[in-house]
Amino acid sequence: MKMRRLGHGRVFLTAGITFLLMLAIASAAADDRGWEDILAEARGQTVDWFMWGGSPAVNGYVNGYVAENLKKRYDITLRQAPVKDIAEVVSKLVIEKQAGKARDGHVDLMWINGENFRTCKRNGLLFGPFADRLPNQKYVNWEQPSVYNDFGEPVDGLESPWGSAQMVMIYDTARLSEPPRSVGALLDWIRAHPGRFAYPAPPDFTGSVFIRHIFYHVAGDVAHWQTSVDPAAFDRAASDTYRVLRELAPALWRKGETYPESPVRLNTLFADGEVDFSFSYHQAEASRNIIDGLFPETVRTYVFEEGTIANTHFVAIPFNAADTAGAMVVANFLLSPEAQLEKADPDVWGDFPAIDPRRLPAEWQKRFSARPRGPATLSDAELQSHQLPEPPSELLIKLEKGWERHVLKGR
Amino acid sequence: MLTLLLSPSLGVVMLLFGGGLALGIVQALGYLPGAGLGRLSLMHFTAVLTDPDFLQSFFLTLYIAGVSTAIAAGISILAALGLVSLSERSRVIHFIFQIPLTVPHLVIAIAVAFLLAPAGLLSRVAVGLGWIQSAADFPLLINDTWGMGIILTYIWKEIPFITLMLLAVLRQTGRDLLDVGRTLKANAWQRFRYITLPIIFPALGAASLIVFAYTFGAFEVPFLLGRTYPMTLPVWAYKQYSDIDLMARPEGIATGIVIALVVMLAVVLAQILTKTARKRGLVL
Repeated sequence: MKMRRLGHGRVFLTAGITFLLMLAIASAAADDRGWEDILAEARGQTVDWFMWGGSPAVNGYVNGYVAENLKKRYDITLRQAPVKDIAEVVSKLVIEKQAGKARDGHVDLMWINGENFRTCKRNGLLFGPFADRLPNQKYVNWEQPSVYNDFGEPVDGLESPWGSAQMVMIYDTARLSEPPRSVGALLDWIRAHPGRFAYPAPPDFTGSVFIRHIFYHVAGDVAHWQTSVDPAAFDRAASDTYRVLRELAPALWRKGETYPESPVRLNTLFADGEVDFSFSYHQAEASRNIIDGLFPETVRTYVFEEGTIANTHFVAIPFNAADTAGAMVVANFLLSPEAQLEKADPDVWGDFPAIDPRRLPAEWQKRFSARPRGPATLSDAELQSHQLPEPPSELLIKLEKGWERHVLKGR
Repeated sequence: MLTLLLSPSLGVVMLLFGGGLALGIVQALGYLPGAGLGRLSLMHFTAVLTDPDFLQSFFLTLYIAGVSTAIAAGISILAALGLVSLSERSRVIHFIFQIPLTVPHLVIAIAVAFLLAPAGLLSRVAVGLGWIQSAADFPLLINDTWGMGIILTYIWKEIPFITLMLLAVLRQTGRDLLDVGRTLKANAWQRFRYITLPIIFPALGAASLIVFAYTFGAFEVPFLLGRTYPMTLPVWAYKQYSDIDLMARPEGIATGIVIALVVMLAVVLAQILTKTARKRGLVL
């Protein structure tokens, strides 16, 4: 009898332990199964990705490498829908939301950032939050304000990073051995060397980012402007910015009576030796120009000690997207180390990674640091440790308008 | 019958050009149902015309168009007169004059920028030849106050155009009238003033008006070779239209319509002037 009772006990104990174990395994697997469910749902879906279609390099990357790999790995058909301006798609979503069209929207994924993202978020036009559910988001450095804020608007997981841009200063080591390493030092340099510096006239975006740096320099604190802004404080800081730029004008190229109309013109002036600096939002542009023979081999780039303005561009999913699972899988693939590395290849596109290579496994880190980057491009570590966030787009627009009125026209 | 023959091309012009113009006028008059503005109003035109920069831009554009047309017309008359006999004998001259017609204004603007920039080709040649000390001594010819680069570009493009139109007229009328003038003891100036000028005047007037209309409304050359401020009317219209503030767009269209009105006014004025001159017996 003793043995039978022991036998029963053993069965119950074994059953109980097995049951608990299964529960434990099941609960541990619940998160992954969520993603597995999404992958399963995404199989066979067609994802319609609406994006700016003006760059052959971007289109080639998306329709070539990305589309092929999505089909091969996840059986997802990617359909790129090129548009002239994503604002058109945003306007359509606003109308669809008002009309109550909450399902079967024709847009599954959008390439978006800045003002357009703000409009979407404020009007509830986005699916999500979804970005934190993507397995590859662990490679993104969400501590950076230029990543967790999109032009001052908190991302809150409603969009997933794709790539990054950062302003870099360009100079020629043959003409200038030690460039001014901060904005203040640059302003002093300009005053000491009249006629040797120019910036494109806002609202050109590259010219606009220059005045944003002056704004941060004059206003002092950068983080302050990310959250809700006191209009009086902004007006004071903006007036100081315009005053600094107005007083700087006589020391600029052509005594500030005219400005280059585009960054292309600025690069020409720099290459011709009319000015001693250029600058660009594209971290690899100087290298590209050296390779193309437009800049001499001695050209290099640098960033300010206090940092230069960087922004991230993202992909987002509309609230009424028909293929949300497919869209999430696409967004996740775009963040994968292999897709980011391919994108960063200057012969493919050259757009900088949105992921932080320091979060990758050692083997991937080596591949990222060994990638062809050209003679004048800074390392990812140097760039990512000297970043300032963009100000909110409404401040940006006010600064551009204010520059036109108070600096260009002198009113 | 004539209407029937003309109707296909008239139809296309009315639909595309006329339709676009009508849509533009409607938007400039404030009708934007998508943004909830359903009534016509003149506020955009008022905004444009009362802008403190409007007069400056207007006179700048008038100056550039007027000077370009005048200089191009003047040089073309001399060129046409000189070439009348030459072009009969040589096809090459004619061909050389046609080449600039095929090159877009934008390409010439860029070429002028390369040639005449302070660090441009001519400047480097001049430094190399020792005419000037350094690039800084080279005169300012682009992005300058007087629009020299812009005017040079227009002159280069428009002289062949006007010259070829005058040549076509001069060749047809032949030399007989000039010989009659010689037998009547008219000197060279009188032959030109009373025989040649009246013959070429209609073609000269039409070609000059076309050149004026084009240069008044052109955007790309002043955008590249002009100053950031003050800007010509077409550059201003473009900047308003592409402004991040969507409400500035109707103002851009309104500016465009103002440009069109000015050109139409110029045409009407030219007609009136010619008729008055004829009535007063001025031989033109």
